Amino acid sequence: MNPKRKIQGGRKPVLAGWLLILAIGLLGPGISQAQAQQKFSGTVFFDYTFYLSDKGPITTPPGDNPNFKNNFMQFRRVYFRYDNKINNNISFRLTLDGDTVKATDAGSKPDDKFRPFLKHMYLQISELIPDADLKVGMADTITFKLAEDRWGYRSVAKTLLDGYKDITGKEIDATSADLGVSLTGKIARPVRYGLMLTNGAGYSHPEGDKYKKLMGQLHLIPLPGLSVVGYVDYEKQEEGAKALTYKGDLFIESIPGLILGAEYFVYRNDKNLVEGQRSDRSGFSVFGRYNLISDKLNVFARFDRYEPDDLINDDQISLVIAGLDWAPMNSSFKLQPNIWVYDYQDPLKKNDVIFNLTFMMAF
Amino acid sequence: MKGQAKTKKHQKPVAWLLTAGLSLILLAVFLVSAASAQRKMVQIKGSDTMVNLVQIMAEEYMAKNPGTALAVVGGGSGTGITAIINGTCDLANHSREWKKSELDLAYEKGVRPRIFAIAVDALSIVVNEKNSIDSLTMAQVGSIFRGEIKNWKVLGGPDQKISLYGRQSNSGTYSFLQEHVLNNKNYSPEVKEMNGNAQIIEAVTQDAAGIGYVGVGYVYNDQGQLRKGIKVLKIKKDENSPEYSPLDKDAVYSAKYAVSRPLYQSTNGKPSAAVSQFLKFELSPEGQAIVEREGFFRIGKDLMEQNEKNLR
Repeated sequence: MNPKRKIQGGRKPVLAGWLLILAIGLLGPGISQAQAQQKFSGTVFFDYTFYLSDKGPITTPPGDNPNFKNNFMQFRRVYFRYDNKINNNISFRLTLDGDTVKATDAGSKPDDKFRPFLKHMYLQISELIPDADLKVGMADTITFKLAEDRWGYRSVAKTLLDGYKDITGKEIDATSADLGVSLTGKIARPVRYGLMLTNGAGYSHPEGDKYKKLMGQLHLIPLPGLSVVGYVDYEKQEEGAKALTYKGDLFIESIPGLILGAEYFVYRNDKNLVEGQRSDRSGFSVFGRYNLISDKLNVFARFDRYEPDDLINDDQISLVIAGLDWAPMNSSFKLQPNIWVYDYQDPLKKNDVIFNLTFMMAF
Repeated sequence: MKGQAKTKKHQKPVAWLLTAGLSLILLAVFLVSAASAQRKMVQIKGSDTMVNLVQIMAEEYMAKNPGTALAVVGGGSGTGITAIINGTCDLANHSREWKKSELDLAYEKGVRPRIFAIAVDALSIVVNEKNSIDSLTMAQVGSIFRGEIKNWKVLGGPDQKISLYGRQSNSGTYSFLQEHVLNNKNYSPEVKEMNGNAQIIEAVTQDAAGIGYVGVGYVYNDQGQLRKGIKVLKIKKDENSPEYSPLDKDAVYSAKYAVSRPLYQSTNGKPSAAVSQFLKFELSPEGQAIVEREGFFRIGKDLMEQNEKNLR
């Protein structure tokens, strides 16, 4: 047996044990006089999608298939969440996410059923370190959260990094939740930080290697309503190889009702080689949303530019998303008609134009 | 390949894109026009303790000023402050001060809160009228709501398990009592969380062993008389201090009653003309008379001066 592996194998239980002791040690004294506040909540994204074009890579009927579906309905996501506020400083969250998953049943019959899976299961401890929150378990990564909060329309589209693989088909090792430990807090009101150590495998997979992913973020607010965010993550891949993501964000929220954001990132992975040269993936996004009628109506728009491989010409994709967000009754039910326009750098690819009528329900 | 100059982007017909973009812009302009009409309605949101008081003031203000429109809803102080931060209301009602985390979030989002005190509340501890207890010390109230004293007998009352009625954590009254009476410790898990002050009054009326906390305005009925079925306890700062009732105006105005607090409203930055006019009405002798009529207390000179400064 490789002695090195044996030693490394023993470290994981030690780390996990310390985390458990820390959590129990903090939790224990609080339980006797805890005021548990429990809450169930949920969110559903449902789309009716209609292809407005029929010549692009997404909207072209393959092989002139007459049954090609150019309109369909789908549940894109269903979240079911349980929150337990054990006391003012300790809380617990469990989120089940639902998505269509290809699988086979007991009789080896394939299906595409909508299945739940675990998205969050973490303990949050506040003020263990002054002005900071510690999360232990399967928790939101610090990668997308600030941009996603500003964009505000996860029901319509993921943010740039989150949706990168969906748009380009290229992996960038970015996930919205992962198993590990995170610490977020502030040093002063204009200076916030985030640190996270995770498996790096995301919530969809168990740990696949011995390496861990480290994320760091600095969030500066030089003026009220103006945020500048720098982010970097690092994970060793294998002997001599590493993956790094650099990201910068700018958010402007100082005009009442208007939120503007911009994001740029580069993903570098030494394993992504084309003829011996490392190819990098990058992208940028600018977005805005404006409140027209309080609690009732918003308008939003976004422009994304994807560069899946900096060594290849004509592979860039531009994406424009625009739409309305209307809450006819209250915020628990929203209609969000939106249009997506894909413009491909490749001269052989024509534009895709897709209309979605998105229903967002929350309870 | 790397090193090669990338080819210039190939041009494609974009007329339809322009058409779609133009349509969206036109739609947005139309909606902005519609929105500006809607925006004339002043949206007020927040504290449940304040909702009746502010609703009454809003009704009287609208009656005196035809063409004005104000909508007042509750939800709790936390809800109101969150609404101001998110830009979904014009005026937030809150019966506690802003928390540090809320000020941090406001800073992040470019919200500059201006805070106005419009009334004073004497937080009232109520029990069922059949309860023989007439007064408690602050420490005893804290012990009861922390769950350390579980039976009225310990306090010289009947041999009955104490039933606790309180509010949810988004309530300013919940936070105020926790900070000032429970010494920032946790409430007992036995506290039944009610949706509002009126529900607490109703529960204590029905429960001989019940105790709850409400804004003083809620201990009176529509005729301005003390509600039947409840008893408002006198409070002592400590064992050696005299006891005072929240119904005793002099005790509240002289700060002898230990659990009084200002009731606030907040705006994002300088209030708009419509909001400013309503605030001026609330702070006028006429508005302050409504405050007293509804069982609350007028604000003092210092707070009034601060309000006038914030209105400028």
